[in-house]
Amino acid sequence: MSDKQYKLTFCDGSGCLKNQAREFRRVFEEELQRQQLQQNVQMHLSGCLGMCGKGPILIVNPGYIMYGHLRLEDASEIVREHLVNGRPVSRLIIQEDHLYNRFFRIFGDSEFFGRQMRIALRNCGVIDPEKIDDYLAMRGYEALAKVLTEMTPQQVIEEVKKSGLRGRGGAGFPTGLKWEYTAKQSDPEKYVICNADEGDPGAFMDRSAIEGDPHTVLEGMIIGGYAIGSRQGIIYIRAEYPLAVQRLKKAIEDARREGFLGERILGTDFSFDIRICLGAGAFVCGEETALIYSIEGARGMPRPRPPYPSVSGLFGKPTLINNVETWANIPVIIIDGADWFSRIGTATSKGTKVFALAGKVRNTGLVETPMGTTLRDIVFGIGGGIPNGKKFKAVQTGGPSGGCLPEQYLDTQIDYESLAKAGSIMGSGGMIVIDEDSCMVRMARFFVEFTQDESCGKCTPCREGTKRMLEILTRITRGQGRPGDIEKLERLGTMIQKASLCGLGQSAPNPVLSTLRNFREEYEEHIHQKKCRSHECTALLTYVVQDNCVGCGACKRVCPVNAVSGNRKEKHTIDPKLCIKCGQCYDACKFNAIAKV
Amino acid sequence: MDLIRKKRAEAVNRIISKGYLSTKRVYVGMATCEIAAGSKEVMAIFQDAIAKGLTDVYLSQKGCAGRCNLEPTVEVVEEGKVPVKYGLVTPERAREIIERHLKKGEIIQEWVI
Repeated sequence: MSDKQYKLTFCDGSGCLKNQAREFRRVFEEELQRQQLQQNVQMHLSGCLGMCGKGPILIVNPGYIMYGHLRLEDASEIVREHLVNGRPVSRLIIQEDHLYNRFFRIFGDSEFFGRQMRIALRNCGVIDPEKIDDYLAMRGYEALAKVLTEMTPQQVIEEVKKSGLRGRGGAGFPTGLKWEYTAKQSDPEKYVICNADEGDPGAFMDRSAIEGDPHTVLEGMIIGGYAIGSRQGIIYIRAEYPLAVQRLKKAIEDARREGFLGERILGTDFSFDIRICLGAGAFVCGEETALIYSIEGARGMPRPRPPYPSVSGLFGKPTLINNVETWANIPVIIIDGADWFSRIGTATSKGTKVFALAGKVRNTGLVETPMGTTLRDIVFGIGGGIPNGKKFKAVQTGGPSGGCLPEQYLDTQIDYESLAKAGSIMGSGGMIVIDEDSCMVRMARFFVEFTQDESCGKCTPCREGTKRMLEILTRITRGQGRPGDIEKLERLGTMIQKASLCGLGQSAPNPVLSTLRNFREEYEEHIHQKKCRSHECTALLTYVVQDNCVGCGACKRVCPVNAVSGNRKEKHTIDPKLCIKCGQCYDACKFNAIAKV
Repeated sequence: MDLIRKKRAEAVNRIISKGYLSTKRVYVGMATCEIAAGSKEVMAIFQDAIAKGLTDVYLSQKGCAGRCNLEPTVEVVEEGKVPVKYGLVTPERAREIIERHLKKGEIIQEWVI
């Protein structure tokens, strides 16, 4: 951001690149140089803007003027007429009125946002989530009106199938098929459920989506209800999200008042209503069968499938469960079309995915990018890389069910299959960046501690297996690892994967198995050499005063257990027997004379 | 379909009648994360300024745009100009944004995302 007069955004997506977008940019830059305008403009590259049939694309701000179908010879005209004379070149302007990427108008010109494509989060940060008017102004509920007046339920299902949308909650089941199975059931009573029980540590995609744009979730659900022939929808959301719950309640009331919910929606024969069900925050209740038990008032525990909820779900009735992000995609698919949607992404995974980018990365935040974006683009492009000059070590995807991928996987194109092949999972979208200062054994231990804590206890492999794994991992991080521990972890892990009842149990060993695969040497160092290379495991490290100690006494003063001794202006020493490894001396030393070894 | 078009037109009219076409539109991030970072106090500063006679400003809340480490965020959108996005907005910064940007039209570069 600067005093530049114009901001130019060039689409750098693969579709535009095929249409000579880079050449166009080069010619454009030459033209700017010739006219000596480089100082007046700021140039940005965006990720795919989704208008691949109209590339190359150039957006000029202020004014958000979008040029398309650009040929090399157009560059000089745009520079001369628009940038010099202030007259936009009308014959090259394209008008777009799609739902996705609305946020681009406000956020598109910054590095962090410009490389994203937003479908599910299109209105987040753009509209006032508590005003239905704001949503209506963004063509809200138009998809619902279109579905109710112009499409049969079967056509809606076909459209969703054709879009290639897959469940965004983690497993990636094709959404259209799920809808079709549920629609085929002849039972007159059916339910639609929105799974907003977001439980992965570090994940907040669903909360942000609901807090930023609750109506889009409602609209998606109503369309789902129409498609499968249901009259009742339920949003299962954790009580820890009070603001999201409050905004949902307001949205439901407003939608009822405007006739989008309730009896005879928009004057048609279709009636549908939504209620909210609060969850107590158990991780396992994100699993669909456990979630259904929880709504019924029973203890949240998974049961074996089949029967799938699409056949026998809530109260034994056919039930359609989708995740928040999946629902938020539906209105866009209806308005912008399945054909458009299916052009975004990879061969097997269509559309975009929202990630909660966290950990050791400069720009933390919510990121929505097309499927097929590489991990490197997200971590180093949008995320801005690792702060403080540290080295990248791994990226953890998929939360406690996922795995850690080291550097050699950075160019993996993100989709359901490629992440699975690399040894991790898409999951619901948590993405934690790990730098060289983090110990992978501790990382694995953290996730196992979480799943062990959250295990519902119904099946033995998960209940006992994760407990045993946690014991072994704790031992290793305390410097009491034994030869054979690694093999034991691998055996236990594979057993839990194979024998657990639900998806959470089956994926619980993933953090351990993937770190064993990619960072085995760290486990071996912990066990055999009693060393932690990132100095995170305090039991395996000693604080030592080095020769550059000037004897100022700062460490001596802060040590809570009087483990430091030494005369003024002489080198001090730390007694390892007394040291409790609190690290205060390390922080207090102004001369970097204390080292962790 | 006609009904929904009518509803949208009405909604747009209602938004306009609340002053949407004012010269400057100010959006304050008000999701859980932004509130935790202090956006309620920031919002109060803007509300207070409007109550005390600041005109030509349309104030609205918004959800989280996803820029976690720079929250709270505030956007100033002006028709025909590049939207300005401020990060790490404290009550002090909010006051200065009102004085310098909203009243005098000066963009405070150091705080722009």
